[in-house]
Amino acid sequence: MTERLASRSAADGAHRTLLADSVTAFTGRGADIARARRLRGSSEEYDRAAWRRMAELGWLGILVPDTHGGLGLGLPEMGIVARGLARALAPEPLVASAVMATTALAGGGSEALKREHLPRLVAGETVPVLAWQETAGAWDAASPALQARPLEGGYRLTGVKRFIAGAAQADVFLVSALADASPALFWVARDTAGVRLELEPLADGRQFGTLTLTDALVSRERVVARGRQAADALARALDYGAAVASAELCGVAERALEISLDYLRTRVQFGKPIGSFQALQHRGVDLYIQKELAGAVLDQVLEALGEAPDAASRAALASRLKARCSDAALRVTRESIQLHGAIGFTDDCDIGLYLKRALVLAGWLGSATQHRRRYVALSSENGK
Amino acid sequence: MTDWNAMSDEDFRREAREFFESEYPPALRYILRRARWHEMKEWWRKLYEKGWIAPNWPREWGGMGLEAGKMVALLEEMERHGVARAPDQGITQVGPIIMQFGTEEQKRRYLPGTLSGEFIWCQGYSEPNAGSDLASLQTSAIRVDDEFVINGQKIWTSLADDATHIYLLARTDRQVKKQAGISFFIVNLQTPGITIRPIRNLAGHEEFCQVFFDEVRVPLSALVGQLNEGWNIAKALLSFERLNIGSPRRPQYALHRLEAVARARGLFADPGFVDRYAAVKLDLEDLAALYGGFVEQAKRGEALGPEISMLKIWAMETWQRVTDLLVEVGEEQGVMPGVQDVAGVKADFLNAFYYARPATIYGGSSEIQRNILAKYVLRLPG
Ligand SMILES: Cc1cc2nc3c(=O)[nH]c(=O)nc-3n(C[C@H](O)[C@H](O)[C@H](O)COP(=O)(O)OP(=O)(O)OC[C@H]3O[C@@H](n4cnc5c(N)ncnc54)[C@H](O)[C@@H]3O)c2cc1C
Repeated sequence: MTERLASRSAADGAHRTLLADSVTAFTGRGADIARARRLRGSSEEYDRAAWRRMAELGWLGILVPDTHGGLGLGLPEMGIVARGLARALAPEPLVASAVMATTALAGGGSEALKREHLPRLVAGETVPVLAWQETAGAWDAASPALQARPLEGGYRLTGVKRFIAGAAQADVFLVSALADASPALFWVARDTAGVRLELEPLADGRQFGTLTLTDALVSRERVVARGRQAADALARALDYGAAVASAELCGVAERALEISLDYLRTRVQFGKPIGSFQALQHRGVDLYIQKELAGAVLDQVLEALGEAPDAASRAALASRLKARCSDAALRVTRESIQLHGAIGFTDDCDIGLYLKRALVLAGWLGSATQHRRRYVALSSENGK
Repeated sequence: MTDWNAMSDEDFRREAREFFESEYPPALRYILRRARWHEMKEWWRKLYEKGWIAPNWPREWGGMGLEAGKMVALLEEMERHGVARAPDQGITQVGPIIMQFGTEEQKRRYLPGTLSGEFIWCQGYSEPNAGSDLASLQTSAIRVDDEFVINGQKIWTSLADDATHIYLLARTDRQVKKQAGISFFIVNLQTPGITIRPIRNLAGHEEFCQVFFDEVRVPLSALVGQLNEGWNIAKALLSFERLNIGSPRRPQYALHRLEAVARARGLFADPGFVDRYAAVKLDLEDLAALYGGFVEQAKRGEALGPEISMLKIWAMETWQRVTDLLVEVGEEQGVMPGVQDVAGVKADFLNAFYYARPATIYGGSSEIQRNILAKYVLRLPG
């Protein structure tokens, strides 16, 4: 058995290295952020052609079973892609669409929807995102206020979803709602009558969408999941989203630290590189420790998450991860500005873009404080 | 001219409160970024007409000549009402320098206009390769007949594009130790050969600038104090600048927002939040105690020693802790630019956060302040 495990992990290691290499190649030797700079603040937010290339590389299907055209891999692989892309601040909605919406659809009960849409999603032809949140800071997705009233052949949806990441070019929203006092998930095309999308800017040049549904009619065939299954699919999607967002936070922290250490090696004051001052050496080391700590939790949790025995332990793991990675990335990027001096406070200097990305990733899908809380609540329930 | 010191402290405080409440532009209350000149012009005029532009200046030059207790009352009332500082480097920096080191002619020429807002000043110290190591600055001023010719480049010059004049340090002697060859100049920004180029900052605003000097000819009267005395002149101001920066005002405004947002979000019912809130609130109140001690010392006319560095460190780092928490309680809205509405409470989370970032960089970075404390206060070897 140990032999089988060993050969499996060797195979994992090999394909993961290949995957990491292809991400590095995709982002122009790992950290070309020219594209991110060009796209920030634009209404398209990201590049649909880049999204299709990501599809060709198979990344959009990492979490999709091979029976539906995906690669049937797991979170560790998705983490490799997310971390690598985040180093280059790639603006494509990997977490929002290829993780969260995909997980919600794949976890739903409608085989027809899966058969029809998962392959299109893997191919980058349809870009769905999850519209679950209604109030700021609300992490509990189980009881949405958005109402789905049954009618002949379907439902009539009324309510508002906010803070939808990846909404800019999404063509479908997976909308959570309350139908007959029980949770449900709907597949709502963007051009459905009664659906209005507004976009608001974010610190990192991307946007949050606000989706307003006013008596929007959705047919019964477009119900992704109902009841317990809907709640489970949604909870899993949020946990996976938080986990892969944590991989992005790691990539952001890692790259920001590299940039800062390079700066410490080259910037000269008082006749020597500022990296020769012990005060700054110690800061560099402290940030390095944060980054390593976050990376260690990331590897462990991404490996364990897919095999968590139950929803509570899965959620506890995701929370532990998101708390650490948010704190680490915020600290690394904030202090990186300090290490740069005034130039770090300019728009031209890349380091600021890393801070802004860290801010958004840390504020989205639950802050460190919220996740620490949830972790304790869940793990004490489990008697751990 | 009114002698404000003749009023009782209570009357003066009431006067200040009523003045701010009735005259200060409501849209500029508790702003968490730097106010621009065009926004503050009107308010400047009102202060000027009341004779309140320069609380620290002596009355003979149009200041209030305010005594310690009333100065504190004035600052407290400003804080209470959320009054922002106008671009006031002329009042806090150049004015005192000219009074102390300038000629009679320089005083007559510059002080009244500085008070009225006719002259707006910016500070040209830093250069691309002279930041923390300011003394290594390379901009040169060479005497040619009865002019100085200035060449070089300044950077990070805040609000240079709003200013009419710059005060700057330039090298006037290359043969001596680097600190000993620097002089202090005041230059009209309209002088031919000066180019100003704004730099976009992290918050997306164009506030600090590059200022280029290409064969800029200024009269001998542009020199303030003696030739090669510039370093001492600039240093004389540093401790006052640190006192000014160390005022609890900025973190106070951020805390004010934090309280409002926390109330709107119902966070005071949450013991976890209350503890974190209490920690920053006390950091701030205790900062006020530390600050008060230094203010008293300054008002007694005592020189402020290197200990003042700790005030700057604590004030700026407290400010950052408050804004870190502010962004966090903003949740998703905390990472959305512009004024956000949290259950009716308005807050600009990101500007608050962004503007607290460089506070540990300018005016002597926190690392440099710690070096100073280690060396001159703790007297550690090195
Ligand atoms: C918003 C803003 C406004 C400003 N406005 C003005 C202005 O109006 N006029 C003006 O002249 N200047 C202004 N400055 C410039 C400011 O004074 C400088 O940024 C400051 O002196 C630091 O220099 P630097 O940016 O070159 O950083 P550097 O000196 O290059 O420092 C980079 C990093 O190294 C650290 N470091 C440097 N030396 C040491 C050491 N010996 N030991 C330990 N750590 C060290 C610093 O603390 C910092 O973390 C402004 C700066 C900012 C950010």
